[in-house]
Amino acid sequence: MRIKVTALGLAGALALAACGSSAEPQDGPVSLRMTIWTGNEAHLKLFDDIAAEYNKTHPKVSVKYDTLPVETYTTTLTTQIAGGNAPDLAWIFENAAPDFVSSGALAPLGNLVKPEEFVPSTTKLWQKDGTLYAYPFSTSPFGVFVNTDLLKKAGQSVPAKGWTWEEAVKIASAVQQKTGKAGLVVRDFDYKGWDNLASVWGGWGAEAWSEDGRTCGFDKPEMIEAMGFLHKAIFTDKAMPAPGTTADFFAGEAAMTITQISRASLLKDGAFAWDLVTLPTGPKGAYSVIGQAGVGVLKKSRNAQAAADFLAFFTNPANSAKLAQYFPPPRQPLLTADSLARSNPLLKPDQLQDVVVDGIAAGRVKPSHAGQAEIGQAVRAELDKLWQPDADVATVMKGVCAAIQPMLAP
Amino acid sequence: MRRKTLLYGLLCVLCVPFVFPTWWMATSSLKPVSEIFAFPPTPWPGRPTLEAYRQVFALQPFALQYWNSLYIALVVTVGTLAVSALAGYAFARIRFRGSNVLFVIVLTGLLIPSEVTIVPLFQLFHGWGLTDTHWPLVLVPVLGAPSVLATFIMRQFFLVLPHELEEAAAVDGLGRLATFRRIALPLARPALGAVAIFTFLHSWNLYLEPIVFLSSPEKFTLPQALTQFVDAYGGPMWNVQLAAASLTALPVLVVFVLAQKQFVEGLAHTGLKG
Amino acid sequence: MALSVARRARTVSRAGWWTGRRRDHLLGYLFVAPQLAGSLLFVFLPLALVLTYSLNEWNVLADTFSFVGADNYRRLLSDPNVPSVLMATGLFSAGLVVLNLSLALLLAVLLNQRLRGTTVFRTLFFSPVVVSLVAWTIVWGFLLQDNGGVNAILRIAGVEGPNWLRTGSWATLSVIVVQVFKNVGLNMVLFLAALQGVPKELFEAARLDGASAWTRFRRITLPMISPTVLLTSIITVAGSLQVFAQIAVLTQGGPGTSTTVLVYYLYQQAFQFHHFGYGATLSVLLFVIVLALTLLQWRMRRRWVFHEA
Repeated sequence: MRIKVTALGLAGALALAACGSSAEPQDGPVSLRMTIWTGNEAHLKLFDDIAAEYNKTHPKVSVKYDTLPVETYTTTLTTQIAGGNAPDLAWIFENAAPDFVSSGALAPLGNLVKPEEFVPSTTKLWQKDGTLYAYPFSTSPFGVFVNTDLLKKAGQSVPAKGWTWEEAVKIASAVQQKTGKAGLVVRDFDYKGWDNLASVWGGWGAEAWSEDGRTCGFDKPEMIEAMGFLHKAIFTDKAMPAPGTTADFFAGEAAMTITQISRASLLKDGAFAWDLVTLPTGPKGAYSVIGQAGVGVLKKSRNAQAAADFLAFFTNPANSAKLAQYFPPPRQPLLTADSLARSNPLLKPDQLQDVVVDGIAAGRVKPSHAGQAEIGQAVRAELDKLWQPDADVATVMKGVCAAIQPMLAP
Repeated sequence: MRRKTLLYGLLCVLCVPFVFPTWWMATSSLKPVSEIFAFPPTPWPGRPTLEAYRQVFALQPFALQYWNSLYIALVVTVGTLAVSALAGYAFARIRFRGSNVLFVIVLTGLLIPSEVTIVPLFQLFHGWGLTDTHWPLVLVPVLGAPSVLATFIMRQFFLVLPHELEEAAAVDGLGRLATFRRIALPLARPALGAVAIFTFLHSWNLYLEPIVFLSSPEKFTLPQALTQFVDAYGGPMWNVQLAAASLTALPVLVVFVLAQKQFVEGLAHTGLKG
Repeated sequence: MALSVARRARTVSRAGWWTGRRRDHLLGYLFVAPQLAGSLLFVFLPLALVLTYSLNEWNVLADTFSFVGADNYRRLLSDPNVPSVLMATGLFSAGLVVLNLSLALLLAVLLNQRLRGTTVFRTLFFSPVVVSLVAWTIVWGFLLQDNGGVNAILRIAGVEGPNWLRTGSWATLSVIVVQVFKNVGLNMVLFLAALQGVPKELFEAARLDGASAWTRFRRITLPMISPTVLLTSIITVAGSLQVFAQIAVLTQGGPGTSTTVLVYYLYQQAFQFHHFGYGATLSVLLFVIVLALTLLQWRMRRRWVFHEA
């Protein structure tokens, strides 16, 4: 009994100690920690260079980049925050953006350099009540990579801007029939990552939920139509690999893949000839979708002020231009085919113009919502019923809404 | 003779699902990325290359991380052997008040997944100023839940030793400590071998804890280092990861081959027969 | 309790009367002291903290920590997912334990024969244990595809295999089998070590009495290694409650929620959905289950473990 009481007392004391240590003000040298998910040598060198340059004018401030594994990035970050060891700055995935922005975990960024340069479509996700909470350093549009070798083999002509979803499915199923390889692959979907399907249903003008995030969109007629099209493409036309089968475009196993343009780097081996085109148009015409990543300052940071100051430097026009060689930037002046071509040697100027520049300007960000992980899990579980040959699309979609509507508007 | 052939055949068939993935891992580390995910998988690389192995050492302080993992695993193994041999012997062979209750209490720790206690543990070590050090990776396994398994193994093995041993020891005038050290411990070699394998492996493969506790690359351990081989956009560099994974698997196989001698030759060497 | 007794015993020992049983008591406490202290500090103290979390609503991101009493426990009772999660957990653990133990014992018995090359086979069967979990799961993810290696082999035998990872009950079985192949080597090692400890003389005597191989196994081997059976069954149950990465990679808890086991659900709630308080409540539930299972196995041991009687 005595032990139990002591243990509880000890626990309390330790918890207090853990909390107490995070609030002391700091004088003297400041070491900032930024959690990131890239371990790429070239990236880290660029970041270190920026920090070194900053250090010249701010000799007391040093910056450490802390690479966390990408698959468990958000959960590891959350664990660190929960344990009382929040980083000063953190990269944030778009699907975690609403949680981080709306919860008040991030400090407002009022001091960024030349915010008037930001393309409006890129900052929407990262602000609350008109205040920006994170800088969207990476804004990567979705496009369609095409294996032109495979298309030729199947006697299909290479698509161009303005092509339609009907054509896309026709090409895909022709390749599948003639070569045995897969047709069209929505990358990272694999019948689990359903938010990537936004790159399909956008053509029907469908949405996962309404603009204000309070109404489920899965049972709307345009969504049912889009999903019906997808279901037929998978099970009747065999234009897409069926559930339980995967095919890697970059290994030459598929004719086409929808993914973010940043994946072009996977093609540098040059095992086959390829092209990059815009997303096909649907009944509602042309559309584009972007994936994003932001960087913000944690409110809990002991050095929030210094961190915000460094972030302003990290993302100023000059440094944004440097970052643009790896991450499509949100700044208007940098978003020209010319300036992007310098840093993306694998892509041709018209590909950059069509897919990247125009794509970012018109792009809708992939679906995101506060509590996205939980909603996403519920949608995934319900959509599993759709991935059967004999599924009734309308019924399944109603089921999705029944499952998530309470979470959208509690 | 027929029985032997049958036995070999059975063993060979049983082997396939065990060996194929390992084979895939090792050979894929010699393939360029585009070939790794070719379908159906190729049994042998079309154009083998050691490029991935070069990158393993170029991209991360891999040798240092290897050393971190190795020394942590060794310290943990030695520490756990000591803690668990003592506790296991006491729980199995010494009658003291409350021993069964204490053992069940300790035992429940075995079944707690580390996901459950990771946040409070992190808070504790953060309070002590020990995050981003190797202390949590040594202290928790040696004293906490993972060593319970070791204690359990030791207890179960000490349990089967014949009681005549202690009687004989007493006749020879050996005290409890001497009996433990000179008789029980040498007899427990198979169990100690098994514990060494389990413990080394557990520490070597520890994933969640290093990720949560460590933040400097030069302090990383191997499973954590594996996750750092990603391309510009967070996608894994498969060939490099598999090369690193192959290098990671190697020493554990060596430890296994060495340690299995301990329990396979077992009692033959302990002098029990003589 | 143990600590204070040990301390008291130490002061008394200076008086120099510690002989026989008293000395044994003291040594017992001393021997288990490091283990016990470690358990208190690194297992039960964190668990106590988890218990306090479960009485609070803790939003890590908003940095709010407020006392909500039994709210999380009420939520646990009304959570429509909990019954299916418990069902999946039970099915998963039972399947895993049965398959793992029988295969481990089979392998150990096969490899305990006097046979040339057993060292090689031992190493081969053990090798998956050292392969990186991610690599292991990826390969099996490949093999279990609808058009993958397993179904290709079945087709040769004239059987049309199911879509392993996309059909409810097959998905559970697949995750179990992948996990068994990965880790059965550990139990095999324990069984081997135990089999080595069975005195050969007993077999000789039984053989002379004309007992068949099966009778010898059932009447001599099994009772002699029963402490190890208890050991392996407890650690396999423990392992089955901690299977996480495999599910994350292979099925993400699907299809539907058929492979969402308790630890996966707990991890989702706490770390992915940011419901730390509710996650802690699920942890408490897990702990209660674990405690009940341990006690049950412990009570039953006298019934079937030879050396505990």
